[in-house]
Amino acid sequence: MAQKTMCVSQEGPANALALNRENNQVVIAGRNVFKVFSIEEEGFSESCNLRVGKNLNLNFSCNDVAWNTLEDSTLATAATNGAVVLWNLGKPSRSKQQHVFMDHKRTVNKVSFHPTEAHWLISGSQDGTMKCFDIRMREATRTFMSNTESIRDVQFSPHNSLTAFAAVSENGNVQLWDVRRPDKCTHQYTAHSGPVFACDWHPECNWLATASRDKTIKVWDPSGGSSGKPVLEYTISTIASVGRIKWRPQRKHHIASCALVVDSSINVWDIRRPYIPFASFKEHKDVATGLAWRGDPQVFLSVSRDCTLVHHVFKDATRPADQANPQGISLNPAGDVAFASRISTNNVPFSAKLQGYLRKSHLTSEQFCQATSSMHLYSVKAIRETRCFVESARRYILNGRPLAEMCDHNAGVAKDLGRHQVSLVWSIIKTLYWSSRGGPGDTNPPSTAAVSGSLREENSASNEITTVGTVVSAAGCETEQRSVRSGGGVLGVSTATNGDVSGTGGTVDGGGEPFPTEEEPEIDETTEIFQNGVHFGLPSFSKAPMTQGDFFFGDGEMDPLDMDTGLGVGNTVGVGGGLLSGVGVINGGSQVGPGGGAADEWMLPSEAFPLRHEILDRSPPPETFPNHLEPSEQETQAVAVEEQPAPLLNVSALTAPLMWDCGNVVADALRHHASLGDVQMAASALLVLGEKRRGLNIDEATQEHWMLGYIDVLGRHELYNVASQVIQLSWLPNVNQLSQQSTTYYTCCGNCEKPLLRTGWLCDRCHSSESSLCGVCHQVVKGLYAWCQGCAHGGHIHHIQQWLTTNKHCPSGCGHLCEYN
Amino acid sequence: MSYEQDEEDQYAQYVGSFPKEFGYGAFDGEGEGLTGPLTGEQKPRILLMGLRRSGKSSIQKVVFHKMSPNETLFLESTNKIIKDDISNSSFVQFQIWDFPGQIDFFDPTFDSDMIFGGCGALVFVIDAQDEYNDALNRLHQTVTKAHKVNPSIRFEVFIHKVDGLSDDYKMETQRDIHQRANDDLLESGQEQIHLSFHLTSIYDHSIFEAFSKVVQKLIPQLPTLENLLNILISNSAIEKAFLFDVVSKIYIATDFSPVDMQSYELCCDMIDVVIDVSCIYGLHEDAEAAAFDSQSSSLIKLNNGTILYLREVNKFLALVCILRESNFDRQGVIDYNFLCFREAIQQVFELRSKNQIANNTSSQGNNSAVGESGQNTSTGTSGTSNGLSSNPTAMDNSPSNTNESLKQTSSVIYPVSVTDSAVAS
Repeated sequence: MAQKTMCVSQEGPANALALNRENNQVVIAGRNVFKVFSIEEEGFSESCNLRVGKNLNLNFSCNDVAWNTLEDSTLATAATNGAVVLWNLGKPSRSKQQHVFMDHKRTVNKVSFHPTEAHWLISGSQDGTMKCFDIRMREATRTFMSNTESIRDVQFSPHNSLTAFAAVSENGNVQLWDVRRPDKCTHQYTAHSGPVFACDWHPECNWLATASRDKTIKVWDPSGGSSGKPVLEYTISTIASVGRIKWRPQRKHHIASCALVVDSSINVWDIRRPYIPFASFKEHKDVATGLAWRGDPQVFLSVSRDCTLVHHVFKDATRPADQANPQGISLNPAGDVAFASRISTNNVPFSAKLQGYLRKSHLTSEQFCQATSSMHLYSVKAIRETRCFVESARRYILNGRPLAEMCDHNAGVAKDLGRHQVSLVWSIIKTLYWSSRGGPGDTNPPSTAAVSGSLREENSASNEITTVGTVVSAAGCETEQRSVRSGGGVLGVSTATNGDVSGTGGTVDGGGEPFPTEEEPEIDETTEIFQNGVHFGLPSFSKAPMTQGDFFFGDGEMDPLDMDTGLGVGNTVGVGGGLLSGVGVINGGSQVGPGGGAADEWMLPSEAFPLRHEILDRSPPPETFPNHLEPSEQETQAVAVEEQPAPLLNVSALTAPLMWDCGNVVADALRHHASLGDVQMAASALLVLGEKRRGLNIDEATQEHWMLGYIDVLGRHELYNVASQVIQLSWLPNVNQLSQQSTTYYTCCGNCEKPLLRTGWLCDRCHSSESSLCGVCHQVVKGLYAWCQGCAHGGHIHHIQQWLTTNKHCPSGCGHLCEYN
Repeated sequence: MSYEQDEEDQYAQYVGSFPKEFGYGAFDGEGEGLTGPLTGEQKPRILLMGLRRSGKSSIQKVVFHKMSPNETLFLESTNKIIKDDISNSSFVQFQIWDFPGQIDFFDPTFDSDMIFGGCGALVFVIDAQDEYNDALNRLHQTVTKAHKVNPSIRFEVFIHKVDGLSDDYKMETQRDIHQRANDDLLESGQEQIHLSFHLTSIYDHSIFEAFSKVVQKLIPQLPTLENLLNILISNSAIEKAFLFDVVSKIYIATDFSPVDMQSYELCCDMIDVVIDVSCIYGLHEDAEAAAFDSQSSSLIKLNNGTILYLREVNKFLALVCILRESNFDRQGVIDYNFLCFREAIQQVFELRSKNQIANNTSSQGNNSAVGESGQNTSTGTSGTSNGLSSNPTAMDNSPSNTNESLKQTSSVIYPVSVTDSAVAS
């Protein structure tokens, strides 16, 4: 048997095709085509054209064709004019037409022979009747009135009894008939919500498949077991109206279908997998109009409106299931996530075998693989915005701990509440403003250098800086690393030095090594280089490791200058060093921060380095780090200063001129949150950042707006403690002053609305205490007065409490249903 | 919109005579009810029945009066039988009787003989979104009563308002109603009564399709019309053809291929477009004739390589075809085939009106007025058939000419055989 896909075109589209008993010949029939082909190894060869003769009337315009199941020479066609025509291929004459039954009034939609009683032919027509013909007698033996709409398909059942047949009609009904009982159908049920176009009996089990315009194929068990009612076994949903269906031979669960419109592919479905075709054949360019299996599960033929007859083989099919994405994800508006994925078959003991199925290797491809998938549902734990707000307000830590800890904690809180975005912002703030360096550096005062170092880690804008910065943070022995790296770039060196300065006392010693590197200054070198120069110039006395030597030679010319201890660094650098040292001396006893500022002032006029302006922009002044460790370091440095010419200190203060200014980014993030209505994030971040907030470039009005907004919202949620903490922590005068305001509640007289200034119970104008009478005991209330906000009546607080335990109405008798909180 | 007259000058003689002689029943444009062979009382009736608020008036308004489905919300409930004679505007020469839901059959004033007597079809509307037990009882009652009076009546059950139901539920409702209604009939021993069920909604085209089916069953010439369409499409390489009643957009007949809902909707929409355009631009100041006349035609090319082609058959009927663009290069043949088709339809209905006139004159022979009018009509008809009989010669020549000149493979309709089949039926 031919095992390849082949194709032949005709002059017109065919409506149907039929195979003979041996499956080696195929007849195709349509409006303008009626031919018999024999199927060869390499293609089709036309063996007979039946559309011949002088009078090509409507009898040649076929709607359906059937080949006799026993006699190879007999064909029957259904004509659009209501004729059922018998053809005899064995006729010697040119015209093979044998007999015409003109019994139907309207178009005949279907003819079919009985599978075993070959002389029984049944037809179904548009006029709603079916007729059974005995081709030996040349007449219609029986007429079955369906009393429904048009009959679209009739099929003899190959099972249980020889006389049963099924008919499907355009009103969605399936009827089961017995040939011997033309008066009444044995069974009738509604199968589809649209016209049913085709039906097919399963070759082995007692199943009937129906295909409809409602885009489904349904598989029924018509006997239905105990209840006697037909049972719907399977439903397959397709993308278009289904025109024809045919069970695949020798495969219990496979059925082939073709669409009536839209979809030009022929699909073979595994009925247990109702959404994705098991195999799909896409040879046709237009919708297929007929299909027939060649008795072999691997081969079938089809005709299409694109005027072709195609011989399909299964190995050329596409497998849509293989291309389908086994994962799916979906979100709902509440933020819940559903995720479905194929259950990994690796855990299953027979994993290898199963995977073989999945891969659809040639041998196992016919096996049905029960694709199992698991479904996960992640739902946000019903935390609504207000609850989030209250929880966060309660749990956020706004002061009293190191920045990193507060950020970590707050990030954790936000994460707990499912606000991952907020949590991320906290983490980023922490990263941006806190050194991630390991070892003692962590507990060290977060000096400018450290911050800038970490910033550089974050900032990929300047590559060299990044590299060196990373090295600094990663490596324990900073000095050597640095000196090795310093050749890479001038800026890199400077960073390293900065890190060094901010580090432990040891760095002072280490600082000696890199100094030669600094001495490579070219004209474009920046301030920090000469800072370094100054810095290292002094300690260089103490150490001169091998690594240094490399640089020495590398930057040979500069070395001598360097040996002059900073002052002799040569041209500009040398001058810089001198200046710095001077400054350092001045600042020696003072704080680091001011020292930095002074250095700036000093250096700007004296040096013409373009980058110095960035020093001015350097955001976090060192004194903003209120850390206890700072003094100790300062001491170290101070010691150094004392021992050596002063500039060391200044150097540390002057660091990070190239530091990436993260303030804008953070400010943008906070503004974004505030504009989303999350003023809590903005205000809390400002509080946590403390003095560093100055680098954010957020104007005071906005800050104040956020703080007041936050306090306001806190008040509404009765979080007075948090609100007062915020007020207390606030640095803005307008906010801070809130705590200085009086907390008095002013009351007015209930009659004249004059403020009650003197006492709470006697109005100066009305001279009566009527408005402050207790509703229960009718005495004037002096002291705590509880009143209903709905009707304004009230009284002694314990009286009211008592009253309300038993009553709901106002004690004064006004009839108001009072509500006290 | 008017079809180019050039190539059909030779047929102008009978094209011009269409509106007078043609019609389902004889249509008389001037509305003189008595002159037509079918007087108001004799016209086949379609009864719309069902419980209150099941949607009967809405159906009638939407299908026959072009009311927008959304406007039906504001329809008042019907209090008396509304006899809607739509024959003046539509090919469907039926009276639609819209019954109030609360009508009582056992009321002595209820003249069941009169109501069910001349009734062709009874449409019973069931609200699928509501509890339908009462409706089923009423259905049973109505059907039994009507069948007793008039056994030839056809019963159609519209399971209505299904637009609000899911697909599965729709199916389930249909099955349930079908099962229970048939069981009821079986129990009461009325097996001979057959009900047809349709799922309908006024918000899509299902109501039009269902009404099409109802009307088709009442047209005795349906097989002939279908045959004509089959011949037309197989000879003109048309994919799908509908014969539409223009006003109601229900299809009188279609070819043998299954009706695909999208194609049907497409054709309906095309009719809307054509009517709208011709109403805006096609109306003459003086003419009281409708904008849509027997000369209208329209062609719409879709970007998927198909063409919608509309040709007017007469004042009420339009042929809408869907065909491939590649097949449309033989438009001459298609137009010629269409003219043959139109002529054949004309003959079909002439035959019918002749028969009716004959019946009328025999049954109402004492009525001289009707007799005269019948005479007049029949002479008119014979005149036309004379015109026709001269025609086949012209046609016999033209197919060969066309085939030679255009080298067409598709043959052309042979009107003689068409006439034969029409007469035979």
